[in-house]
Amino acid sequence: MMISFWDFFIDPVLRAPTWGCILMCLASSLMGVLIFLRKRSLLAETLSHATYPGAVIGVSVFALLFPLHEEWTFIAVLGGAFASSWLGLKAIEWMEEKGKVRTDAALCFVLAVFFGVGIVAASAMQSALPVWQKQVQMLLFGQAATMTDVHIAIYGCLALTAALFLFLTFRPLQSSLFDRDFSISAGIPVSILDRILFWLLLISLIVGIRSVGVVLMSGMVIAPAVAARQFSNRLQTLFGLAALFGVLSGFLGNYLSVMGSLAFSQQGQKMTLPTGPMIVLVGTIFALLSLMFAPKRGLAFRIGRILAFRLRCLRENILKGIWKKESLSFDQLKEAHQISPLFLRYVLFRMKREGWLSRKEKRFGLTFDGRQKAASIVRLHRLWELYLAESLGQQVENVHRTAEEMEHILTPEIEERLTRLLANPTHDPHHQPIPEKHESILGN
Amino acid sequence: MKYAIEAEALNINYGKTPILWDVTFQIPKGLLVGIIGPNGAGKSTLFKAILGLVKPLSGKIALFDGPAPESRKRIAYVPQRESVDWDFPITALEVVLMGRYGRLGLFGRPRKADREAAGAALELVGMSAFADRQISQLSGGQQQRLFIARALVQEADLFLLDEPFAGVDLTTEKAIMELLRHQKQLGKTILIVHHDFLTVEEYFDWALLLNTRLIGYGTVQEVFNRENLKKTFGKSQLLFAEAAILAAKSQSGIL
Repeated sequence: MMISFWDFFIDPVLRAPTWGCILMCLASSLMGVLIFLRKRSLLAETLSHATYPGAVIGVSVFALLFPLHEEWTFIAVLGGAFASSWLGLKAIEWMEEKGKVRTDAALCFVLAVFFGVGIVAASAMQSALPVWQKQVQMLLFGQAATMTDVHIAIYGCLALTAALFLFLTFRPLQSSLFDRDFSISAGIPVSILDRILFWLLLISLIVGIRSVGVVLMSGMVIAPAVAARQFSNRLQTLFGLAALFGVLSGFLGNYLSVMGSLAFSQQGQKMTLPTGPMIVLVGTIFALLSLMFAPKRGLAFRIGRILAFRLRCLRENILKGIWKKESLSFDQLKEAHQISPLFLRYVLFRMKREGWLSRKEKRFGLTFDGRQKAASIVRLHRLWELYLAESLGQQVENVHRTAEEMEHILTPEIEERLTRLLANPTHDPHHQPIPEKHESILGN
Repeated sequence: MKYAIEAEALNINYGKTPILWDVTFQIPKGLLVGIIGPNGAGKSTLFKAILGLVKPLSGKIALFDGPAPESRKRIAYVPQRESVDWDFPITALEVVLMGRYGRLGLFGRPRKADREAAGAALELVGMSAFADRQISQLSGGQQQRLFIARALVQEADLFLLDEPFAGVDLTTEKAIMELLRHQKQLGKTILIVHHDFLTVEEYFDWALLLNTRLIGYGTVQEVFNRENLKKTFGKSQLLFAEAAILAAKSQSGIL
């Protein structure tokens, strides 16, 4: 069987899982940004697990009352899941307020108890209602393949509601997330916003369990938000990016699950890649890659910046060392800086080419520009020492070590303020002269 | 219309510990008032009770000679700077705009007038150049200026500022004080939780000394004395406070 890319969107059998997953992930990722920013990510985990006992009991009751209408089971699932998840939320609030239980303890407790009850109820069904148990088992890790066009409509409505809510209440919402007490004091209806937010979160979790499942649903809520946070400092963009990541994981998860299952089955054995875990996996990969490689905040860039800073420190220390002694040989430099000789040679070569160093008779000296630069570093060093000793009253013997670090960090603005505070000093606490702020032709 | 705030027999508990205990005072309109007391004395809680964020166990608060809930929209609240997450995705201008959301309702969008007011407030606190900065890129003093600008656009009649000078550079402190004095001249009432004894006499008309119970309130000359500070800060802090007053007096040429 050949499936083209577009079949996923239009084929009567394939389109329901595709659109269903996309819309479901869109809604949950938008909600995810909100609870991520409220620092209550664990709440999603607890509430999605708390849906399980309700869904199991709902299906059981439905099976006993209407044994001939299996096609309407999803109503029992939704109703039951909603009821027990809401009960879980109330239980958490009650434990926090009346029982003075810490939030994380309350969350863990509710998660474990509710999920445990659900598992027990599900095993009880195994003997009493063996046919219906499948419906319940499916909810653990979700099953997208059996979705129908009805699901597209439901998920579409939900995604639209969530997006509309965010759009209409964006400003008050942003305010209440950033500074709750202020927002209440300014008359912003924070409690109404809270209530709408939790209802929407609850609903998006409940419809999500159909495709992603109880166990992994919270991952789908949080992962797009985590990924998006790496890229933007604007809330509008954050929502947009999270939605994009959500939609992409929804689509790719479903796509990979269908194509993967096909590919593996063709080799004789039958094997299925479940949709829910695939969606969460894709979402998590997005989050992981963002954490690593996002510009500015990503780990890779931070490591890069740390290395760049260390290199700058090395170069400035080399300049300073030569400045104090007029000129140094390579061996003297090697002794002062504990790094590989090859790398040191490279750094010296670069510095010479950039016009800071000159080399005469195997000794390194400073050019005019190099001297200016070195003097300004020494100036920062000695200013800082004087500041520590005079303004903060530290012992003179102890000031050198932190000055070694601060000389690479102090900005011209802080230098300016230090100069003013210390009344343009001429000597540091060790009675060494402080080089004057150099008056280059550029005037800085 | 005489009093901005009246508190009558105010009791507030957190769990079983009393935070405020039988606190009664009246603060006339148009004054700069310093709230002074040690850590955990209930200063922030007093603000939160005035704002309705904390429910008192018993007692009454009246604002502008009427029931508190009716006048809460006339208050501008500046919370402690550390109470919010400064890594939150929001720009400086958006923070200042928050001062207008209260009157815009649940579905409100800031209008052009609101944006211009926010821009003007940023200008007033010397932060125009930083309007589009993300707030984590601002220094402590700049963040505090932002909070002041946000309070200014609320066009309130009563300002409650919780430790606005904590971790703030001297230039910013002076600039903020200047703005607040101007607000006072416009007839606004300003309450400030304050820690620096040295500047109490310079900054405030009135002082309110608090340590769970009310030690005293009135003009700074009347209440900011050795006896009251001893009561407020207990024995260990007494020496420090005394030295501080002495220093302030020496500097201003009284001694």
